Amino acid sequence: MPSSDLFLEVGLSHYLVLSAILFVAGMAGVLLRRNAIVILMSVELMLNAVNLSFVAFSHYMGQMDGQIMVFFVMTIAAAEVSVGLAILVSIFKRYKEVNIRFFEHLKG
Amino acid sequence: MGHDIFEITINAIKLIVCFLIIVQAVPVLVWAERRGSAFIQNRLGPNRIGPLGLLQLAADAVKFFFKEEFAPANAVKFLYYAAPIFALIPATVAFAAIPLGAPVQWNEHIFRLQGYEINVGIVFILAVSSLAPYSILMAGWGSGNKYALMGALRASAQVISYELALGLSIVGMIMTYGTFNLSEMIQAQQAPLSYSLLGFTLPLNFLPAWGIFYQPLGAILFFAASFAESNRLPFDLAEGEAELVAGFHVEYGGFKMLLFFIGEYGHMIVASALMVLFYFGGYVIPGIPMETLNQWALEHAPDANFASLLAGLITLVCFLVKVVVFLWIFIQVRWTLPRFRYDQLMDLGWKTMLPWALFNTILTATLIYVAHL
Amino acid sequence: MTADVFLFWFLAIVTLAGGLTTIMITNPIYSALSLAFTMVGVSALFVTLNAYFLAGVQLIVYAGAVTVLFVMVLMMFDLKHEVTAFTRGKISGMVKSGIVAVLAGILVGSISLTTDIFSKSGAAPEAVIGGDTTKELGKVLFSKYIFGFEALGILLLMVAIGAVALARSKGGTHAKQ
Repeated sequence: MPSSDLFLEVGLSHYLVLSAILFVAGMAGVLLRRNAIVILMSVELMLNAVNLSFVAFSHYMGQMDGQIMVFFVMTIAAAEVSVGLAILVSIFKRYKEVNIRFFEHLKG
Repeated sequence: MGHDIFEITINAIKLIVCFLIIVQAVPVLVWAERRGSAFIQNRLGPNRIGPLGLLQLAADAVKFFFKEEFAPANAVKFLYYAAPIFALIPATVAFAAIPLGAPVQWNEHIFRLQGYEINVGIVFILAVSSLAPYSILMAGWGSGNKYALMGALRASAQVISYELALGLSIVGMIMTYGTFNLSEMIQAQQAPLSYSLLGFTLPLNFLPAWGIFYQPLGAILFFAASFAESNRLPFDLAEGEAELVAGFHVEYGGFKMLLFFIGEYGHMIVASALMVLFYFGGYVIPGIPMETLNQWALEHAPDANFASLLAGLITLVCFLVKVVVFLWIFIQVRWTLPRFRYDQLMDLGWKTMLPWALFNTILTATLIYVAHL
Repeated sequence: MTADVFLFWFLAIVTLAGGLTTIMITNPIYSALSLAFTMVGVSALFVTLNAYFLAGVQLIVYAGAVTVLFVMVLMMFDLKHEVTAFTRGKISGMVKSGIVAVLAGILVGSISLTTDIFSKSGAAPEAVIGGDTTKELGKVLFSKYIFGFEALGILLLMVAIGAVALARSKGGTHAKQ
């Protein structure tokens, strides 16, 4: 039975649990959704969750390295989204659809 | 917020006043724009109601309030109604972070004449104004009208493209003054101007150390990009009448239209205020250092509290005067320059302004490195 | 309950609500908008962790650029309500949900077991960074991590070229046909 400290004392573990729940939500989105764009969005959600835990660790451990990692993650996420959306645009031009069941076969 | 009830109350009032400044400045700006455009085009403009037509604003407001509440049949109701409210957020939140005058010392409290002090103020303002495309996209999509959608896509693509040039043109200023804090930036601009490079110093004591003398290219780029950011002519591709009717707000009328208006003029006010902050010395009166002003206020006020308040109010007026000058430039440009074509707009943003902003950044970095050798 | 604690719980609820809406709602546009909402929440959480500069960058990059791109692409595609928003097979869906639930349990359990959770001794208070950290961030980024920074620059250049090549393969905004 958690004590009232659970609600009154916010520490590293609170941020970590929040980030874990966000990450799992993103993973559920990747596994369960059928729209390719929503899948990309769920990946973004997972990356955000990881960023949150990086910043929380950096804050509570007193080191800057976590924040640097967040920079790198953000840049790569932006790059990934731009390429992913470009691919999706060309898929949409071809199939008029972005639901993944329309292009799960490799044959053109 | 504060340590005792007096400080908290004053800080809360400041936030409300910052919001009201934006909202209340818009009717006056609309009047100035209509009268000014009329004089530019050799017309008279609204001059019937009240002195100089000033009561036209009240009449317009009443008209806006009593228009029929209307949503098109194809509209996505939630987005259609949410978009005008979201249009207000970026400008008002960004404006609250701008220091409008010298801090006021009242007994042991220090009140800054701004909504809230943020240490990374520049990043905050850029971040908040980068949320502007949402309201445009929501309006365009929510209206269920293809012209609105086209206008929204154009406008948001334009805002995103010019954000790059805008951000890069400020980087030079950040490097020159070595701070993200707007108040510290104003402090740094009080000193007399002097260029020093490789041991040589060129003092120009009759000029203040304003950003425009250090970053002329950055100032031009910033001003041009802020025109595009606030969707004003010559960059108002969102509402090309010939092909898109009125762009993303074609389906809006009455009070909802008025909210979009407030958003657009709010962007103008924020852009002018930033221009003054970065490149024209902020709230400091040119030629009169803050120490002289404080001394003068001490001689003319009953005690130190009121002297500080007096100095704060004078600097506030000075800041507003500078902002008004830039607002007038916004209006004058709108009524004198023609509109760009869309591909010209994108070419200007990506192929001209972005490379020049990059060049400005590299040049500034090199000069700072050489100056510190 | 102090202001910090209240802020954390409020932002946690907001962020979680945004994240769950992103994956649950069937209209992709609302999905993208609630993703933007989540990004703003995460950025505010960064502020509670004293990472002011990162909070600003989070807003500019994620909320201001990435999610706007999502919304723009969705609006260009003109996708209305989806027929099959979620996975079709009942059994595979249950398996997937089970995997997600197990992962959630493992993550939260391991966090609570390893960080001495929900007690005051969870974090050493003297290690907490206070105040503004932007300057140190810049110093570390441009000295210790300079190689990663340059590599990232090359990656971005490649991605820019790749995205342009993909988008221009058939038309684009400047298509001359």
